[in-house]
Amino acid sequence: MALLEIDGLTRRFGGLVAVDEVSMRVAEGEVRAVIGPNGAGKSTLFHLITGVLKPTAGEVRFADERTTGLSAHRICQRGVSRTFQLTALFPEMTARENARLAAQARGARRWQPYGGDAIFAAADRRGDAALERLGLTDVAHRPAGLLSHGDQRLLEVAMGLAQQPRLLLLDEPTQGLSVEETAQAVDTLASLLADGGLTVLLVEHDMEVVFRLAHRITVLHRGAVIADDVPAAVRADPAVQDAYLGGIE
Amino acid sequence: MTSRRVLVVAALVLALLPLGLPLFAMTLAIEALILGLFAMSLDLMVGYTRLFSFGHAAAYGLGAYAAGNLLLHTDIPVVFAVLLAGAFSGIVAIGIGWVCTLATGISFSMLTLAIAQLLYAVAFKWTPVTGASDGLAGIPRTPGPFGLTWFQSKIGFYYLVLACLVAAFMFCRSLVASPFGAVLRGIRENEAKTQSLGYNTRRYKIAVVAIAYALGGLAGALYAAFAGFTNTELLFWLLSGQVLIMVIIGGAGTLVGPIIGAIFFLLVQQYLSSYTESWALFFGLIFIFFVVCVPRGLLGLVSGRRAGGTV
Repeated sequence: MALLEIDGLTRRFGGLVAVDEVSMRVAEGEVRAVIGPNGAGKSTLFHLITGVLKPTAGEVRFADERTTGLSAHRICQRGVSRTFQLTALFPEMTARENARLAAQARGARRWQPYGGDAIFAAADRRGDAALERLGLTDVAHRPAGLLSHGDQRLLEVAMGLAQQPRLLLLDEPTQGLSVEETAQAVDTLASLLADGGLTVLLVEHDMEVVFRLAHRITVLHRGAVIADDVPAAVRADPAVQDAYLGGIE
Repeated sequence: MTSRRVLVVAALVLALLPLGLPLFAMTLAIEALILGLFAMSLDLMVGYTRLFSFGHAAAYGLGAYAAGNLLLHTDIPVVFAVLLAGAFSGIVAIGIGWVCTLATGISFSMLTLAIAQLLYAVAFKWTPVTGASDGLAGIPRTPGPFGLTWFQSKIGFYYLVLACLVAAFMFCRSLVASPFGAVLRGIRENEAKTQSLGYNTRRYKIAVVAIAYALGGLAGALYAAFAGFTNTELLFWLLSGQVLIMVIIGGAGTLVGPIIGAIFFLLVQQYLSSYTESWALFFGLIFIFFVVCVPRGLLGLVSGRRAGGTV
């Protein structure tokens, strides 16, 4: 059974169909990439899965339960963590505090209005482990707003990881990075994903990143799925080449 | 731990103040502490959550009128009456917070102002409860429990106010350092991200509004019991503006800052108003100076602490 099941998902903005009857399955443990040219509907699809936007039609099921129409924080509480295309952090907090706040969200006593040493310690354990897996231990005590752009991107991933999600959504993790920074970030992500155990849905338009990280690729074009296969098959697909890859390679 | 030492010294100075001040000055001291509590309560919203309330007089007025009615119409001792009035203000604020958090940013601020002005208008019309434009007069400081009467004197009441301020301060200090406080800080820095991490940010905001109103209501209740009367001025937007000024001049995002801001406001008001009736004009200039030149407020000036420290 698939962890994430999407059926006939559609979102219209006025006359524009941003996401057009998209159906897909993401299995547990899979690293799935969603690719497509700018405006293909990738980010909208993310917003629909995470509850930031409500779909016009269709539904999303996560772990066999319908999540369509739930608010963003409820969907997150069910085990779906995400990063944003434009870096979203708490700039005045240190990297460690960022990770701690992310980890704390998963605890039952996240409301506690006093004390909290034990809660913070437990959150720090998960947060620190996540920072370490992304190679951020050395900068853990610096304010997030002062980190390099590459480290900020990885910190967002670490925050997602600190929540021990069942599904991690990465929205263009190398967005805005230089060539060297991208290479470093991809190395880090590759070793993270090689450890296994994570189910990841990845939006990315850097093809090298996608072919290196993903087990399976879904190609969107003008809001609709035009291919859904393993990387080698997607690369060879004439429709994909026509719509997308051909323009680049 | 130096900051803790400074706080203990400050509390001791305040506790010994009645020994060194003439009785007429104690009136000013009591008002300063009440306004300090009021400003500190607002800072939970403004400084810690970045929820700019332009209507915090609503909290003060709700507490004052609730305490006034309790003391006039029941035998509840003043100690309990002020606590009940604070709780009443906090409970009403759940509804106020629910409405205001339908909006964000400047619209949130406008809603807080609108609700405060609505209560101001109600106070003018609901004569049996508010005394309309006459207000409530002759509010007693009912003695008890166990026949205690010490807070009926001015000095005694000063200690009651000081105890409330210290207790509220310790409560707030614990609150802002707790897991709940960490989420408030997240909302302040990036609400959308906080929400995407799985926090129901709206509930946190409603909760902090309720807490701020409860403490602000306690301040208003203490004022009603001290002054012995209430009037509609306590709900007026002018007071909302003044308390916001106290927070900003003292140092938003700190707990001590707003208290210092309130004391400063009151002292400068006393001093200027003995020279000129248009003291507010000059205070306005002082405020502009602070906003432009000392954005972290008096406390930031003294301690050099970066905004966002927990004390």
